[in-house]
Amino acid sequence: MSFLHIDDVHKHFGETHVLKGIDIEIDKGDFLVLVGPSGCGKSTLLNMIAGLDTISEGELRLDGRRINELHPSRRDIAMVFQSYALYPSMSVAGNIGFGLEMRKVPKAERRAAIQRVAELLQIENLLSRKPGQLSGGQRQRVAMGRALVRDPQLFLFDEPLSNLDAKLRVDMRTEIKQLHQRLGTTIVYVTHDQIEAMTLATRIAVMRGGELQQLGTPQAVYDDPNNLFVAGFMGSPSMNLVPARIADRDGKLVALVEAGETTLALPIVRDREALEGWCNRQVMLGLRPEAITDPTSANRDGGEIFEADLEVELVEPTGADLYVVTRLGGISVNARMRPGSPPQPGEDTRFAFDVSRMVAFDPESEARIRTAVDADAPVQAASA
Amino acid sequence: MSDTAAPPGKGARERLQRWLPKLVLSPSCVLILFFVYGFIAWTSYISFSNSGMLPEYTWAGLRQWSRLWGSWTWGIALHNIWVFGLLYIVSCTLLGLLLAILLDQRIRAEGALRTVYLYPMALSFIVTGTAWQWFLNPGLGLEKTVQALGWESFSFNWLIDSNMAIYTVVIAAVWQATGFIMAMFLAGLRGIDGEMIKAAQIDGAPAWKIYLRIIIPQLRPVFLSAVVVLAHLAIKSFDLIVAMTGGGPGNATAVPATFMYSYAFSRNEMGIAAASAVFMLAVIAALIIPYLYSELREPRS
Amino acid sequence: MSAATPAARRFTPARMLLYAILLFFAVLYLLPLYVMLTTSFKTLAEIQQGNMLALPREWTAAPWREAWGSACIGLECSGVKGYFFNSIQIVVPAVLISGLLGAFNGYVLTKWRFRGHKIVFGLILFSCFIPFQIILLPMARVLGILHLANSTSGLVLVHIVYGIGFTTLFFRNFYASFPDELVRAAQLDGAGFFRIFFRILLPASVPIIVVTVIWQFTNVWNDFLFGVSFASGDSAPITVALNNLVNSSTGVKAYNVNMAAAMVAAVPTLIVYILAGKYFLRGLMSGSVKG
Repeated sequence: MSFLHIDDVHKHFGETHVLKGIDIEIDKGDFLVLVGPSGCGKSTLLNMIAGLDTISEGELRLDGRRINELHPSRRDIAMVFQSYALYPSMSVAGNIGFGLEMRKVPKAERRAAIQRVAELLQIENLLSRKPGQLSGGQRQRVAMGRALVRDPQLFLFDEPLSNLDAKLRVDMRTEIKQLHQRLGTTIVYVTHDQIEAMTLATRIAVMRGGELQQLGTPQAVYDDPNNLFVAGFMGSPSMNLVPARIADRDGKLVALVEAGETTLALPIVRDREALEGWCNRQVMLGLRPEAITDPTSANRDGGEIFEADLEVELVEPTGADLYVVTRLGGISVNARMRPGSPPQPGEDTRFAFDVSRMVAFDPESEARIRTAVDADAPVQAASA
Repeated sequence: MSDTAAPPGKGARERLQRWLPKLVLSPSCVLILFFVYGFIAWTSYISFSNSGMLPEYTWAGLRQWSRLWGSWTWGIALHNIWVFGLLYIVSCTLLGLLLAILLDQRIRAEGALRTVYLYPMALSFIVTGTAWQWFLNPGLGLEKTVQALGWESFSFNWLIDSNMAIYTVVIAAVWQATGFIMAMFLAGLRGIDGEMIKAAQIDGAPAWKIYLRIIIPQLRPVFLSAVVVLAHLAIKSFDLIVAMTGGGPGNATAVPATFMYSYAFSRNEMGIAAASAVFMLAVIAALIIPYLYSELREPRS
Repeated sequence: MSAATPAARRFTPARMLLYAILLFFAVLYLLPLYVMLTTSFKTLAEIQQGNMLALPREWTAAPWREAWGSACIGLECSGVKGYFFNSIQIVVPAVLISGLLGAFNGYVLTKWRFRGHKIVFGLILFSCFIPFQIILLPMARVLGILHLANSTSGLVLVHIVYGIGFTTLFFRNFYASFPDELVRAAQLDGAGFFRIFFRILLPASVPIIVVTVIWQFTNVWNDFLFGVSFASGDSAPITVALNNLVNSSTGVKAYNVNMAAAMVAAVPTLIVYILAGKYFLRGLMSGSVKG
């Protein structure tokens, strides 16, 4: 039995249908990240789990118990808010201990609990300060301390890092991950940042327009996206989406991609059975930038490599990598190459396509064209 | 932002929690409904009745209203509030803007000067009126002082001159409110993006042109606020006139507020008094409601 | 933002002119207060013959003593002191109660919003701006029915009712700047409606409490219209007493006593202004523009 079960949950605000039947199950110790663009309903869903928004339809079960009607304070849930929501007139210790105080925990016990959490988060020296005297990162820690001290069954995080600067955000991300690994807590975490989702989650739920697009492990969502939206949303730089035509070339299924004067015939490796039905039809090919590279960097053990000389449009060095832009199917395509001797714009250079990582989508419905059982990648993993 | 949802919950305690907010708000709502809107309705009704010394609830149509519009004093009052309001609003706005711009030139002791300009706003209109009545006293005040300084023929007797008395009230009222308007403009000036001004300076615009072409046009919301606030103060002005001139000499400085008061409490003409009050309310409502509407219409997604 | 360039900070003739104008206005603004003060320390004889702008040749506190304790207002000759205490008796409860109601209203209207909360706020807010002439007649009758006519308690009620609009405005705008998440966090922590208000919001409200108290204090203290309409004789506030003293005394006008009485009426609000001008201004501004 799953630990947190979101069972066909709907939300209506007056006329608008904000959540259109969300189904998610996670196990104890899971780190679920709800990710999606703003307005996708992820924060509403989180507030419903917390009990701060009512559930219009459907059921919410925590550890087998229906919690729809339970008051927020009785759900054994703690939440870290985007604005941190620290009580401005209370000291850090007062903030952390407030929840315990409301639950009538004796003072001595409270003090010990505050001390324990402060040590865990390394904020012992801040306990007597007021929130106004803290930096952004410190406030973030206090907000987490306030949640941790209650030792709840479930932690909720509502975009907790979005108010921090870039460097601090990365540091805190690491810390949250370490904390999760050490304490083995169950977490539901909302963010619009797909990198945060990838790095933190054991389960990612990608949402759009009040609907769940895909639920799975980070790797599954990344490698095996359910549709064009998930493919484009996850990953940075994002997946190259190139129009192509499926064709049969001497018994071999290929995707024909226009490349300037010539046409590339990329062999189809994944989802071959499904794509056979698409012969002579337009599809949208998805190729991660790291699946297009230079011949020396290409991974020849795992996959099938297809090489071609293409004209370089633009070169973007990032230090660690070199992104080379070329044009396929009328679209600028990003390829990740080894830094070192960059090709010059206007010249031709050799690209190596790892076609075993190539996926295809229906350009009309935007859905993935996939064979029901795909041996190459784990299928959408609802429960492990 | 959606309305803050009451947390779900069962049980009497949680039901009470759900009703508490409205329960706590209700005394104020009841007070306001009765003492503001109920009273407005009552006064409005009385203005269509035959009420004299005591309220009388028989419908008399527009009788009181036609008596009001036929009244010679009401005509003076309307004329005066028009003259007073116009001069008051224009003088306060221009003087306030001027002082704000002058103070915005990185002045030493800006804080002290601001305090000096603003202090009259803390005084009661009655105190202001008393002070200016004395200051402009024709026998012993400014007139005599200037004469004593050597300008023998100097004469300043506006306070007792029927044609000029209303202007003395304007002077005192402007003295009282300019500092406030200055503060509003100063806050507006401080809110203007500095980079735009730097850009204009780099473009070679002289300071006065920067003010005229770039800064003052951006203060439009402050102008609007200032005019609304001043107009509202002007229509309500009662205390200052009572203290300075008592509405006199004769009826020379009567305004709708003093007119209403004297018909209500000295002449026992409730009906006319009510009609004049309704008229004042209508003017202010026409001014304030659109303003409040635009101010409160915050973009909420 | 100033359009003055840094170079303009040096003392050029233009800057001298600027300071001259500013000082001229400063003198102009201080002059009435100065005249009021000096007159209140002069003997009547000196006033009759003398220059209004001159300092008293012979300082005397007699006008102040007379204004405070023995000047005749109506038929009573015991100065303004009784009326001064009337005003205090009116101000204190009126400020406290209207402030508390406003704080609760602001809290509910921002943190416990319900369908129609904007309309409720609009209706409350509009009460700040009505010309009070519209309520004078019915209020006089209601106070009579409640046996509160000509009493300071009656004025307390009046000031509470018509103070709610502003106090609600102040607290609403202040609490609107608090994130709603604060209330949500406290709910998760197990705090209820009152606990959230008294433990979390109110302790953080000191600045707006100061603004509200100052604003209400100044407004109620300086009120004349309600005082003159609903309280005559012994229960009148200081402003009404001052007006009666100045404008209805017969015989020779004791200008020095009048000015001393005016100063007595002005001193409390002036002290508040000098001590907390920043908060006074903030109240004025949020009374005119959205906070």
